[in-house]
Amino acid sequence: MPDSADKHTTPAGSEPLFEARGLTKIYNPGTEAEVRALDGVDLDLFESELVVLLGASGSGKSTLLNILGGLDVPTDGTLDFRGESLTEADERALTQFRRETVGFVFQFYNLIPSLTARENVTLITDIARDPMPAEEALALVGLGERMDHFPSELSGGEQQRIAIARAIAKRPDVLLCDEPTGALDVKTGITVLEAIARVNEDMGTLAMIITHNAAIAEMAGRVIHMSAGRITEIHTNTERRPAHTLVW
Amino acid sequence: MRSLDLKLIRDLRTMKGQMLAISLVMACGLTMLITFRGLIVSLETERDRYYSENRFADVFCDLEQAPNSLRPRLEAIPDVAAVETRIKGAATLDIPGMDDIAEAVMISLPDERPQRLNLLHMLRGRFPEPGSRNEIVVGEAFAEAHAFMPGDTIQAVIHGSREHLRIVGIALSPEFVYELPPGAIVPDNKRFGVFWMNERELANAFNMDGAFNNVVLAVSPGGDINRVKEELDRILRPYGGRIAYDRSEHTSAEWVEMEIESLRAVALAFPIVFLAVAAFMTSAALTRLVRLQREQIAQLKAFGYSSRAIGLHYSKFVLVAVAAAILVGAVGGYLAGRGVIVLFHQFFRFPSLTFHPDYLAVLLGVVASAATAFLGVLAAVRQAVRLPPAEAMRPEPPAKYSPSRIEVTGIQHLVSPAFRMALRNLERKPWQGLFTAFGLAMATAIPILPGAMRDGMDYMMDFQWRLAQRQDVTLGLIEPGSYTAFTSMRNLPGVVEAEPFRSVSARISHGHLERRISLSGLTQDARLNRLLDAEEQQVPLPLSGVLLSRKLAEILDVGPGGVVLLEVQEGRRPVVAVPVAGTITDFTGIGAYMDIDEVRRLMGEGRTVSGAHLTLDAAEWDRFMVKVRESPRIGSITRTRAARESFDRMMGEMFGLAQAIYFGFAIVLAFGVIYNGARIALSERTRDLATLRVLGYTKREVAGVLIGELALLTLLALLPGLFIGSQMASAILEAASTETTRFPVVLTSRTYATAVLIVLASSLVSFAVVGRRIHRLDLIGVLKARE
Ligand SMILES: Nc1ncnc2c1ncn2[C@@H]1O[C@H](COP(=O)(O)OP(=O)(O)OP(=O)(O)O)[C@@H](O)[C@H]1O
Ligand SMILES: [Mg+2]
Repeated sequence: MPDSADKHTTPAGSEPLFEARGLTKIYNPGTEAEVRALDGVDLDLFESELVVLLGASGSGKSTLLNILGGLDVPTDGTLDFRGESLTEADERALTQFRRETVGFVFQFYNLIPSLTARENVTLITDIARDPMPAEEALALVGLGERMDHFPSELSGGEQQRIAIARAIAKRPDVLLCDEPTGALDVKTGITVLEAIARVNEDMGTLAMIITHNAAIAEMAGRVIHMSAGRITEIHTNTERRPAHTLVW
Repeated sequence: MRSLDLKLIRDLRTMKGQMLAISLVMACGLTMLITFRGLIVSLETERDRYYSENRFADVFCDLEQAPNSLRPRLEAIPDVAAVETRIKGAATLDIPGMDDIAEAVMISLPDERPQRLNLLHMLRGRFPEPGSRNEIVVGEAFAEAHAFMPGDTIQAVIHGSREHLRIVGIALSPEFVYELPPGAIVPDNKRFGVFWMNERELANAFNMDGAFNNVVLAVSPGGDINRVKEELDRILRPYGGRIAYDRSEHTSAEWVEMEIESLRAVALAFPIVFLAVAAFMTSAALTRLVRLQREQIAQLKAFGYSSRAIGLHYSKFVLVAVAAAILVGAVGGYLAGRGVIVLFHQFFRFPSLTFHPDYLAVLLGVVASAATAFLGVLAAVRQAVRLPPAEAMRPEPPAKYSPSRIEVTGIQHLVSPAFRMALRNLERKPWQGLFTAFGLAMATAIPILPGAMRDGMDYMMDFQWRLAQRQDVTLGLIEPGSYTAFTSMRNLPGVVEAEPFRSVSARISHGHLERRISLSGLTQDARLNRLLDAEEQQVPLPLSGVLLSRKLAEILDVGPGGVVLLEVQEGRRPVVAVPVAGTITDFTGIGAYMDIDEVRRLMGEGRTVSGAHLTLDAAEWDRFMVKVRESPRIGSITRTRAARESFDRMMGEMFGLAQAIYFGFAIVLAFGVIYNGARIALSERTRDLATLRVLGYTKREVAGVLIGELALLTLLALLPGLFIGSQMASAILEAASTETTRFPVVLTSRTYATAVLIVLASSLVSFAVVGRRIHRLDLIGVLKARE
């Protein structure tokens, strides 16, 4: 259990943002190809903490993140966000949840190639309730200069930072990042992580980062280890290392 | 190869909607091709067979009267293979239950020997016995309209004497494939029939013992028809001969030819549109498939499959689409052709008109459409197999985008990012968008023709029977009469207004161009039978000079101010050169018009009349008819309303079906094109759209992005489509316009609205179908892979 002394990661007495109990996801149930991608996950996540999710390939990390982000629904178990059930929400409510509350960052950026950096961000600010100006979001990730470039004209790290700007422009409560540095070299990877850390600190956003890279775990408040669809260990860092000091 | 075929089947299954759309569009083209070409070939084959087996004459001529002893001279004309001299006259018929007079043209049959030319095709009964009294053979159309059978009798007034005619046979004649009452434009089988009777009997009735007033000739193969006509004219001149004419001016033959011509006008244009669009669709769909499977292709090549094997594999997609299209098109075309042939039978009477597919045209159509589709595929596959496998296995380099050119205008601040995506996608692949827009434009264009035809017919009827011919009835005298004949017509019960006319048959020529026409003398400031210009304004009759149908002026290549030569074929046969004072607008037949007194002066007559146009008090109709029936000098009666009704009926039958077919095809085309375009766009944008969904866009908003792009294309296609359609309709109606009928090109907002609605409705349906796929977008799958 998290160390309650570390006020930075688990604010004592505060309600968890996410509350997952017995979360289970089974693919192709009842067939030979049955896969238990999640197998009874209990997890609380709190406001403004930074969590890193580690685990072998196929251990269920993406599945968990997708369910938390309202992209997927569990086969069994319950998931509440701010006390509201996400497991009972319908498709439209989940869309609304993603729209208002969650920012996603994926390994392959998933930018719209036909829109410029700025326009990829306005895509979000157009539909969010209380967005920041696209320019401000881009400045936050250090891309104020290259706003009018198309994704194909930018480097991988720059593209990923646009994705982060796009994710934070709506001032989300939660930032979910699935292998955000997976396609990047060390140096660009670090600039991307710095951007995530800054959002987490400045805006108090709950950030969850999936990675295969154990070194990245050092910047987290808590590190969750997964294996075969279960959480095997939750480790609380007594000391967090700033992203720019990481090496791998 | 086997496993490749397995892949083919799997891929086909995922693409079945698209393949179906392509096949349907192609099938529509083939259906039309098979139907139209088949109809043309069937009509031509049957016509040629019928004309030759039943020895349809080559040259025809009417005259006042000549002794039978003249025949050897006619037979001696060089190149003449056979001569038949006949007696031809009119009869008015009294048919129980009809409040109207029916008319018949009576034609003599040789008494003692078989016919030499224009042989009857006897359907029921027999020929009249030699020496029998009042036995007649009746044309099938008339018999059918009245359900007459051999053994029935008909009351007739022939040349002023009342006779009981007994039907002994029902027959068809190559002379009357299309049975048109004199001066009419559509058959009216209840009011007009053709009767055949023994020559001796008819000679008695018409006081023509040992004489004839009609001659038909067969010209030996390779013979000079024009010389035969000239010679015939020369020999018959002293006997009141009218001008000899050949099949090209023979009413029935001309209408059959016109029908074939108007089929020709549409037989190519529309199928080509459909087959071309289908080829574009195939090419677009396969290009996309090949691009999606670029890495698979590279792997296959790496495994050692040859480029040819791979090319063959993708060609099989086209093969499947083409095979399905041929199947549907062949069955559809055959059924449609057989259905339409039955309709034709109502107007064109052939002994055995059946539908024969034009195999050569079908083969050509199939080969052409398959070839174009294959070419499209080949281009796509070539690109894919040309890449070295190692390179092809890497994903395609990211697409380059740039702000669309339209955005330079600064509208980007007004439009949403979604709309901007649409604009930029279109600008990046303009060809694909253009093809879709082109297909949609064609779909918009197609319903214009039937709309224009319908409105043209409406306009024509309105013009003809409300503006130009305002009489209720036109009475024709058996022979031209004096002014008292006119006053007695004017004094018939119920007559409100009466207008005399004097018409003579004449040859009109300008240089070497000439036509047989009826020269009509009309009264100044006519109120009933009016001559109008294209603006519907009455054209004043010149005091000297002649007005021509615009088509006639065109044929003679003469305009106002030019001089034409008129050779009247009646009376003292005057020949005069007269100035053309102007042209008039009419839609059927060709004619020349003069002041009635000019015609009389020309003929050297007093105040003669050929008949009168009348308006009637409807309440007096029955009394009027009794008097008309009693008066032996009246040879013909034409009721405007009856003509209008039969025209209406014919158009209703012919165009109702045609319109439904065109609309159906336009719907298939619009739906197919949009659906195909939407599927391709969806496949290209899946990643973008799924990403939008992940980011919290609702299904509706995401559908809006995709559909926005297609809707933009649809809107872009509408105006050019309407323009192309109008041009196509004008060209086709122009090509189908002949001396017998001309179709005015009338383009109304109703036609345009229908075309737009058809395309929009089909688009909406395809949007709905594609929208369903957006519901099933795999959000997570899209995040796992880079494209
Ligand atoms: N759509 C699916 N159908 C069947 N099984 C699936 C599906 N998606 C995921 N799985 C299975 O669920 C398990 C967990 O997958 P998940 O993507 O969550 O793993 P992961 O921890 O993110 O792995 P990686 O580090 O490789 O991304 C895997 O065994 C995977 O094979
Ligand atoms: Mg994963």
